[in-house]
Amino acid sequence: MKTFLIRHFALAAMLFSSAVAMAQKYTISGTIKDKNNGEFMIGAAVQIAENPAAGAITNEYGFYSLSMPEGEYTILCSYAGFDQQQKSVTLNKNIRLDWLLDTPRTNALDEVVVGSVKKDKNLSQAQMGIETLNIKKIEKLPVLFGEKDVMKTIQLLPGIKSNGEGSSGFSVRGGAADQNLILLDEAPVYNASHLLGFFSTFNSDALKDASIIKGNSPSQYGGRLSSVMDVKMKDGNNQDYNVTGGIGLISSRLSVEGPIQKDKSSFIISGRRTYADLFLRGSEDFKDSKLYFYDLNIKANYQINSNNRIYLSGYFGRDVLGLGSTFGTDWGNTTATLRWNSILSRQLFSNTSLIYSNYDYKLNFESAGSNLGLNSQIKDYNLKQDFSWFASSKHSLRFGLQSIYHGITPSKSSGTSVDSYPKKTRYSWENALYINDDFKASEQLTLNYGLRLSAFTIIGGDTYNIYQNGELTGSRDLEKGTLGKTYLNLEPRLTANYRIDELSSVKAGYSRNTQNLHLLSNSSSGSPSDQWIGSSYTVKPEIADQFSVGYSRNFSDNNYEINTEVYYKDMQNQIDYKNGAEITFDAGKDVESELLFGKGRAYGVELIAKKKSGKLTGWVSYTLSKTERKIDGINNDKWYNTRLDKTHDLSVVATYTLNPKWSLSGLFVYSTGNAVTFPTGKYELNGQTVFQYSSRNADRMPDYHRMDLSATYEPNKKKRFHGSWTFGLYNVYGRENAYTITFEDNPDKPGTTRAMQTSLFRWVPNVTYNFKF
Amino acid sequence: MKNILFILFCAFLFSSCEKEIDLQLDDKSGTIVIEGNITDQQGPYYVRITRSVAFTEDNQYPAITDAVVTISDNTGQSETLQYEGDGRYKTSSLVSSPGNTYTLNVLIDGVNYSAQSTMPSPVTLDGLIQDSITIAGETTYNILPVYTDPSFLGNRYLFILTIDGKTDKTLQVFSDNINNGMVNQRTIMPSLDDDDEIVPGDIINVEMQCIDQNIYTYYSALIQISGGGGPGGSVTPANPPSNINNGALGYFSAHTTASKSMVIQ
Repeated sequence: MKTFLIRHFALAAMLFSSAVAMAQKYTISGTIKDKNNGEFMIGAAVQIAENPAAGAITNEYGFYSLSMPEGEYTILCSYAGFDQQQKSVTLNKNIRLDWLLDTPRTNALDEVVVGSVKKDKNLSQAQMGIETLNIKKIEKLPVLFGEKDVMKTIQLLPGIKSNGEGSSGFSVRGGAADQNLILLDEAPVYNASHLLGFFSTFNSDALKDASIIKGNSPSQYGGRLSSVMDVKMKDGNNQDYNVTGGIGLISSRLSVEGPIQKDKSSFIISGRRTYADLFLRGSEDFKDSKLYFYDLNIKANYQINSNNRIYLSGYFGRDVLGLGSTFGTDWGNTTATLRWNSILSRQLFSNTSLIYSNYDYKLNFESAGSNLGLNSQIKDYNLKQDFSWFASSKHSLRFGLQSIYHGITPSKSSGTSVDSYPKKTRYSWENALYINDDFKASEQLTLNYGLRLSAFTIIGGDTYNIYQNGELTGSRDLEKGTLGKTYLNLEPRLTANYRIDELSSVKAGYSRNTQNLHLLSNSSSGSPSDQWIGSSYTVKPEIADQFSVGYSRNFSDNNYEINTEVYYKDMQNQIDYKNGAEITFDAGKDVESELLFGKGRAYGVELIAKKKSGKLTGWVSYTLSKTERKIDGINNDKWYNTRLDKTHDLSVVATYTLNPKWSLSGLFVYSTGNAVTFPTGKYELNGQTVFQYSSRNADRMPDYHRMDLSATYEPNKKKRFHGSWTFGLYNVYGRENAYTITFEDNPDKPGTTRAMQTSLFRWVPNVTYNFKF
Repeated sequence: MKNILFILFCAFLFSSCEKEIDLQLDDKSGTIVIEGNITDQQGPYYVRITRSVAFTEDNQYPAITDAVVTISDNTGQSETLQYEGDGRYKTSSLVSSPGNTYTLNVLIDGVNYSAQSTMPSPVTLDGLIQDSITIAGETTYNILPVYTDPSFLGNRYLFILTIDGKTDKTLQVFSDNINNGMVNQRTIMPSLDDDDEIVPGDIINVEMQCIDQNIYTYYSALIQISGGGGPGGSVTPANPPSNINNGALGYFSAHTTASKSMVIQ
């Protein structure tokens, strides 16, 4: 291990050193903002007219930096949907150039753009497996109950599979739900779903940008195997006050944003609440019931001077379900991020963040005078220091460190019930050092490569039992304040892009990701009571190695784009419950004794074709894939399909602008049914019919397909107050997609059995009214 | 628990639709099924041996009539059981006692299936208390079995509910991983099928068995696979981990038993 580490670091140091020694050059740096609201723009492009190959893209804080030899240049600044600007400069010293981009006067904003900026960005950037969603541009797509949801839109992209009908949960390239790192303003969100997964915790009104990286993330990201979903909240308009809101069938939303001090500071407060329960309270039967969720996003920022800015953002969300005093459950996330952006020099940008994240779950059940309860919690304190160093026109580096202190409280009894094996909160410390270089090696070749060293340390204060195949083989009593085992992992990452010609490029990548927090779930769809555990003496870090190659080609002035990627992923130390595991109320003495470990593999081909401009925009995405697991103690120790191993997965998404007031959107999805286990026989036990099973997940649910349509009407766009109506219909042709299939004795024909299919959501209409002033 | 959540949710928001469907299911049946029980009550005790059949067939399970079935224990008792009919084999002299470990051997066509089970100490069932919750105007009755868990850890219980003489589909298992040594606080919920609902006037019988850990694991898994769908489907089903070897389905349980009855008011 040690020599492996040294060798890799030496190699990295050698590569990076070439970035430093360069000829005399000067730097152009600055920020790019949206003139209308003062928001920093992510991924806006700065290019040199005289040398189209040179250019820079703003980072997630709107900062760019570009080095060029001395000379006269015309500099262009652009962002999709905004007017391009240009400035002439004489470069004989380092200069600062800030931009304010404005939207065009005409109503030309009716295109759906997936990805942004330079129209041929897909051909020039080394990054692979990345998809960016501009929140504004996805809002016309039809969605269940009219609730815009980035997590559902993301499922329409290749390699990303829905967890089930109407679910906001997703799986990336064969990964489990907990293998997606979901960040909201850098804070990890441990349960990104509301109401059993039908809604996500992300209120689109408060969001600025969302991107997802499918396993090939640069080294500043880590801690999960499959993907990084990076969601950023709006900063708040520092020019003018705005109120936006929406009234829908399920929930209403309201956001207020505006300057605290014009040009210097701003805030945004955005809330959402469902109100099904308010109607139900009117009915006698449900008057004691509670069923709602809410989200509250708050953010403020203050510009100290042209080089320093601080941000404070917070999210609070909660689900509450209850029936009088008999039954109640609630769960939710709280996150807070304090961030300091600083332009240290023309080439060095620093971002320091302090992050707090909390997820907790409670369940209460009152019966016959007793009060049985369960609760669990995960609480993080997180420090991140990140530097972007625009070393030269060829190299831009990211390096930094991340340190997280986790406190994880496992499912514990509360109320009048008492755990027979008292459970303690377990603490751990997760650290990472990383360095990453985006290297333009030549006109054709760009490389993005880096290393991440991750360390996970168990902090004392509990007794750790050691199990092998569920049998206790030893135990470690760790005193409070002492450090236990540390798992060290070195994660190399590399992606390369070779531009074949003006219109096409090939890509290749390899990355290793590790994961030290694991979500234990025994249901196939996930439930709020699923619990997180950290790596321990029994549970080893999960490791994934992903290899991928891709090809991109653009057509007719970059208006059409085709991307394809092939991947192979190998996963180690995967976790599952053993058959008949003691969970929830009988949580056993130690959940770790109920676990089994094994490996996984996933491979596939992903294809996406997009039309990016014109009256008709949209995309077609298709994935052909296979995902399997092999866990000792399950399926006779043989490989089996994972539940979301959907061989074929197709999405067609289109938006058509009829005229400036009306636009129509539609989508069609088709996928192979989930891999499931159906009976292969039946027998009698205690006088009841019991079904017999053989291979795990060897059967298939019926194919899933559905079409959704929506229409958006936006009158009076030019007035200060503007409202819009969205009408939608989910599952237009009323396909009865199987949600579950169960087997039972046939009551109509005693002495026989039958299969019953349950479907949800046929022809679900929605109307939403959105306004802004 | 999850079922309640699910029903609540559906009641509030959706009208889901259910229909019978035709599926092409694999047939891998014909497996030996053994169901053996020894209780702390006086014998005879029975072992029933059948075979599984294909899903599409009628619920008629072929009996194994020519097996050699023996039960022995750690005190030196041993007995070969006599075939009685309908796949059932019967003891005649075996005397059971809590604390003893019993070994079952079944020889069928040259293959020997064996299992062991230890009979736990009995726990007294003091009585039953009815409890009810009202969801959407409908009252569901739950039964609280009153007993005091012994102070040592490791007690496992199986509850079988009978409503007006009809055995309820829902079995329930409790462990003392919570509330060790305390008076029980957990109620038994009947299955959610409409026709099995408890209504006032029903005669309820609850059988409480004290079972060993392997049998507890077996029933936990059996309950998980026989539960309803739940949101997005419940656990991936598999055959419950049997304490019988060589791939036989079923179980061999040495347990104590106690019953109480009550009339729902």
